[in-house]
Amino acid sequence: MSEPLPIAAELARANEELREQLEEAQDLIHAIRTGAVDALAVQGAEGPRIFTLQGADQSYRTLIEQMSEGALLLAEDATVLYCNASLAELLHCPLAEVMGRNFDEFVPPGFGKTWAALMDRGWAGKSRGELPLQTQTGALLPFSVSMNVLEFNETPALAVIVTDLSAQREITAIRAQVAEQNALLDRKNEELKREEAARQAGERAAAEASRVLEGIPQIAWTATPQGINSYLNRRWFDYIGRENAVGSDQGWTAHLHPDDRPAARQQWVECLASGEPYEVEYRFRNRAGDYRWMLGRAQPSRNAQGAIMQWIGTCTDIHEQKLALQRIDQAQHQLRDNNAQLTRANVDLDNFIYTASHDLKAPISNIEGLLDALLLELPAATAQSAEISPLLDLMQDSVNRFKRTIEHLTEVSRLQKEHGSYVAPVDLAAVIHDVRLDLEPVIQGTGARLEVDVQATPVVLFSEKNLRSVVFNLLSNALKYRAPTRPPHVRLRTWAEAGHTVLEVRDNGLGLEAAYLDRLFGMFQRFHDHVEGSGIGLYMVKKMVENAGGRITVTSELGTGSVFFVYFVHQ
Amino acid sequence: MQKLACVLLVDDDATANYLNQLLLKRLGVAEQVLVALNGQEALDLLHVHCQTPFATCPALVLLDVKMPVMDGFAFLEAYEELPAAQRQAITVVMLTTSLHPRDVERVQQLKIGGFFNKPLNREKVDEILKTHFGRQLPEA
Repeated sequence: MSEPLPIAAELARANEELREQLEEAQDLIHAIRTGAVDALAVQGAEGPRIFTLQGADQSYRTLIEQMSEGALLLAEDATVLYCNASLAELLHCPLAEVMGRNFDEFVPPGFGKTWAALMDRGWAGKSRGELPLQTQTGALLPFSVSMNVLEFNETPALAVIVTDLSAQREITAIRAQVAEQNALLDRKNEELKREEAARQAGERAAAEASRVLEGIPQIAWTATPQGINSYLNRRWFDYIGRENAVGSDQGWTAHLHPDDRPAARQQWVECLASGEPYEVEYRFRNRAGDYRWMLGRAQPSRNAQGAIMQWIGTCTDIHEQKLALQRIDQAQHQLRDNNAQLTRANVDLDNFIYTASHDLKAPISNIEGLLDALLLELPAATAQSAEISPLLDLMQDSVNRFKRTIEHLTEVSRLQKEHGSYVAPVDLAAVIHDVRLDLEPVIQGTGARLEVDVQATPVVLFSEKNLRSVVFNLLSNALKYRAPTRPPHVRLRTWAEAGHTVLEVRDNGLGLEAAYLDRLFGMFQRFHDHVEGSGIGLYMVKKMVENAGGRITVTSELGTGSVFFVYFVHQ
Repeated sequence: MQKLACVLLVDDDATANYLNQLLLKRLGVAEQVLVALNGQEALDLLHVHCQTPFATCPALVLLDVKMPVMDGFAFLEAYEELPAAQRQAITVVMLTTSLHPRDVERVQQLKIGGFFNKPLNREKVDEILKTHFGRQLPEA
């Protein structure tokens, strides 16, 4: 053998050399995989070829590796030729798995167009934009991406810097939070300042109010807008007997009468809610332990903005007035009771008059019948004898008078049931004329002179029948009670007054003493026994006039004459 | 004048009954005068006297208004319940004292032969006879 066989040592050295190379390559691959050494994985026809970054400045590499932004180089088909550890970290993906991968895989669906546009512009020169990337965990994170095209080993590559925006977003959020917090603090400060100003204004107002309120003669107080007592003047403490006390008294309600508490409380609560003035009557216990009625009043005091700053109130002692009112009230009750009783008594009286007139009729007509029967039974000689005849006449006379009285009673009871009888305009002159005709025999017999002047009010509103009765009674009385020494002179005239037509009947007759006048219109009152009369006429006149809403008065002088005034209601 | 067979006086006032009996007797108005002191007694008498056709059933009833036990109004109500044949033969005339206004209205609505104020006298009896029985008292 001409060629010498390699010797075993040489073989072993070559083998050792190859083993070292293999180890070196394995170390390199490991280093590349772990990111310890920068390398480029370039896809070639025979599979990926690994290039370490040779010639690149160590300091740049350190810079790139140190920076917190992600940095990568993309081949034209978007294969990651290189990336730094930060990018791997940002994408939550091991470095070795990022390199050599198509970066499109990190672009979330829906952002493909954005990414493509960025890439297009980047390959054209440079581009910048924002988009979210999908990390290995699937979460989307916002990123800012800037691209620059550059030559790398005579191959164009796209240098991409990826900045995590979530941190920036957080900062923005924090800034906003800080700004908000600051604004809140500012507002709080403003509020505190305002509150302080209001408090000072309130204190000044309260102090001023206190000075004023100490001076007034009533119990005076103030309360907060919430209704809490903030001040009571000296009068209060004098009233309850607490010497030398000043300021507020939270225990004031203890002096309020238990019966008055609910209503006072209720109204106070309502006024606090509505801002309406407060007014209540209640009783407070004084130092002696007696309750006295007070009028409590309060008004809200408002600031320029219209908000209630405090309530200012007074308690005025109205004890005497209140008791007086209660007495008046009681008296009125008593009066009403009396009135009701009188009304009942009147009704009873009406019924009594009716019943009496009714029930007396039967026995008197029996007596009359028996008297007739007796007359028929008696022998004529006996009946006409001097002893019996006057007896029979007197009996008949008594029966007749009894019957007349009953008739009058019946008339009275009829009149009492006549309230609200029909009223119409009546020609007064015509009525007087008719009555005059009825009384003509008396007028002739007594030589009476009548003067009538009713032209001022020719028409009177009254029941015609009753008006005739009124005129008849007054005129016949004037003639009946004439003075024996002079012929009767009767004057009738009328005039209008506020709300009334007045009929005056003036005579020159006997007249009456003033003491009798108020009994003149009573039932069955007779003052002159020489004259035939039932004592019912003037009672009837008064009743008729009053039933129609009018009234009758009289003036009289003994020996000179009487004047009757009848007031008829207008309309 | 032909007398009425029977007249019934209904009144709680014995004196009034006595006087009316006396009057009717003197005027020769009735063969028989019956007296009842209230409405119930009057009804009882009508039952007794109007049962048979030959009985002395009153042709005229003079009725007072105010009576105890059964008053004039109550009597008339009960009377309405009697057989029509009995009622047709009887004339009821009410005698009253002055009437309470509400009673006047009530009396006017009643189906009776009329009403007169007390006391009964010759003129009133004559008017009743003329109106309801076509008779007249002889001149006094």
